Amino acid sequence: MSGLQIDAVTKDFGETSVLKGVTLNINDGEFVSLVGPSGCGKSTLLRIIAGLETATRGSVSIDGTDVTHVRAADRNLSMVFQSYALYPHLTVAENIAVPLRMRQMSTTQRLPVVGGLIPGTGPLKRDISQAVRHAAEMLEIGALLDRKPGQLSGGQRQRVALGRALVRNPAAFLLDEPLSNLDAKLRVQTRAEIAQLHRKLKATFIYVTHDQVEAMTMSDRIAVMMGGEILQCAAPDVIYEDPDDIRVAEFIGSPKINILPLEHTDDGVVLLGRVLDWPMPAGMPHLMQLGLRPEALRLVEGPSKLRGRVVHFENLGSEIFAQVVLSDGDIRLTLRATPADRQRLSLGKEVSLEFELRSGLIFDTAGKRLRMAEVKTRAAKEVA
Amino acid sequence: MALIEASHGSKVSQDNHQVRTAWSMTAPALALMFLILLAPIVVAGVLSFSNYSLGNTGFDWVGSQNYERLFSRSTYEKMFIATFTYVVTVVPISVGLGLGAALLVHSLGRVGDIYKTIYFLPVMATLLAMAIAWEFMLHPTIGMVNRTLEIACGTWLETIPFFLQGCEGSFPLWLGDRDYAIWVVCFIGIWQGFGFNMVLFLAGLTSVHRELYNAAEMDGARSGWEQFRLVTWPALGPTTVFVVTISCIRAFQVFDTIEAFWPQGGGPSKSAYVMMFAIFEKGIQQNLIGVGSAITMLFLLFVMFLTLIQRWLIERKVHYG
Repeated sequence: MSGLQIDAVTKDFGETSVLKGVTLNINDGEFVSLVGPSGCGKSTLLRIIAGLETATRGSVSIDGTDVTHVRAADRNLSMVFQSYALYPHLTVAENIAVPLRMRQMSTTQRLPVVGGLIPGTGPLKRDISQAVRHAAEMLEIGALLDRKPGQLSGGQRQRVALGRALVRNPAAFLLDEPLSNLDAKLRVQTRAEIAQLHRKLKATFIYVTHDQVEAMTMSDRIAVMMGGEILQCAAPDVIYEDPDDIRVAEFIGSPKINILPLEHTDDGVVLLGRVLDWPMPAGMPHLMQLGLRPEALRLVEGPSKLRGRVVHFENLGSEIFAQVVLSDGDIRLTLRATPADRQRLSLGKEVSLEFELRSGLIFDTAGKRLRMAEVKTRAAKEVA
Repeated sequence: MALIEASHGSKVSQDNHQVRTAWSMTAPALALMFLILLAPIVVAGVLSFSNYSLGNTGFDWVGSQNYERLFSRSTYEKMFIATFTYVVTVVPISVGLGLGAALLVHSLGRVGDIYKTIYFLPVMATLLAMAIAWEFMLHPTIGMVNRTLEIACGTWLETIPFFLQGCEGSFPLWLGDRDYAIWVVCFIGIWQGFGFNMVLFLAGLTSVHRELYNAAEMDGARSGWEQFRLVTWPALGPTTVFVVTISCIRAFQVFDTIEAFWPQGGGPSKSAYVMMFAIFEKGIQQNLIGVGSAITMLFLLFVMFLTLIQRWLIERKVHYG
């Protein structure tokens, strides 16, 4: 199958380098999210794919054809903008029809009166309005076709922008933070609708967002970008459970992953002054970092690997997030507890925390994942 | 019961008190508005039905005689022709040039500021002073314009009838020629006015959302013209209506060039006898207040009509709310 290939794309704005050699292969029909903090280059990458920005170096291919030097209008891609970018003077129906009118009708055919006299314009116009109605019905905005964008709510405008994108069959849909202007409730609803739309159309979607929840819930694969690079591109569960880099682990997951310093000495593996029974393979560095997701920690009675005092907790009903300051240092951990543990968590209370060795993620001091260091803990568990 | 009535009564008097205070506070503003803005128009309207002259102790009502004269005498026919020629020529060209210059300057970035200043210079300069400079340049024999045109004599440019005529006989007298006079005034009006329109359009252009151009590109609008039609022109709708109205009103009000060129009477055989000059000549110079007022009322009617069209257009067509 074809799809979309981005090969070693770099982008410099003067002295600043925004993209530092991004390579990404997107399969046909795949939903890929580009996620990262603001300023990481994700929007620039999307604009380079769209053709609105030219790459300094590298190439972009669609369906196996190199389109690096093809202008945006000729790339057969659709884009939904953050501001929706609807034409304010046109009705909803006219807005949705613009891509078809621009591509299928000649300049003279588009003229107000003269255009109607040219043979073939009538049937073409009927086809276009048919396609517009079809797109509008798919997005349930059929009743709004005669309104102007100024008379619509944010959610409705967003649907019109989607309608304008899907009215023709593009090679891929590019979405640039399309949900960021919606309120929280509508965002959740539209998120599900876009995912459904993707399943229905079976088209390629490239979705830019800074919201990890959007990326996690909608995508086939997530490309986590930071500092102009893709740190990891994988399925959402892989990104969450098996991150390559500490920055990926920290960016994905809410509340944030807990990071603790780990020492590898002759006595064994030392966590905050306590020697752990950790079967560490030879050749591991002296200093490492241990990443623990909030759900990897659990409350226990009696002696444990970690002890601390509850300083803050948030009860969300179905789960409780508690912040614990460890007694062996100034480190603050976040713990996810069940409502059953509610009684054991009160402000200022001393608690004991335990975790499974195999749920720990180990990184070196530069932040790269040390999977070798985890091999034995996992093997030990499996044998047991 | 008595208690209720008493409290009710005090409430009424309190309301009355508030109403009186409100009126007394608005009264100065209202009085000034009537005195300064509305009363002169009403007085002009009343005088347009009389034969009043300044200094006279009395006057006679002449009915609609003043208005009948406006539509029967050839002088006033020339006045209407000159005025409408000026408006119909100057408005489209100065608006078109203003828009064109604004689009070019807008695409330039920082260098655009220099152009902006240069194009705006004629707007800032006093038209009267500029008119005198133009008068020198357009002088038939020693003027810069005809001197420059004479250089073309003896070259291939003589194949053009205009130059052939000029070289064999003489180049146009410009301000002294009734076929050229009004067009020279139009030219100066455009030269002076388009910079102002450009600045208004530039302000309008800054409000066009950049993402709309990206959307137009993605939607397949390839040429600059298509993007202009799809994004820029509709976005400039409200600005354009405003610019056209302002230009129209300014064009109707043209006076200083004509007064500077022909203080004695509106151009060769009254070919540049515009309304404003007619008002000045009749009402001030000849002290025929009645006729002057009648032209003023007509003038007001035209301008009012234009303003109403603008309001209608803005509300119906170009406000995309």
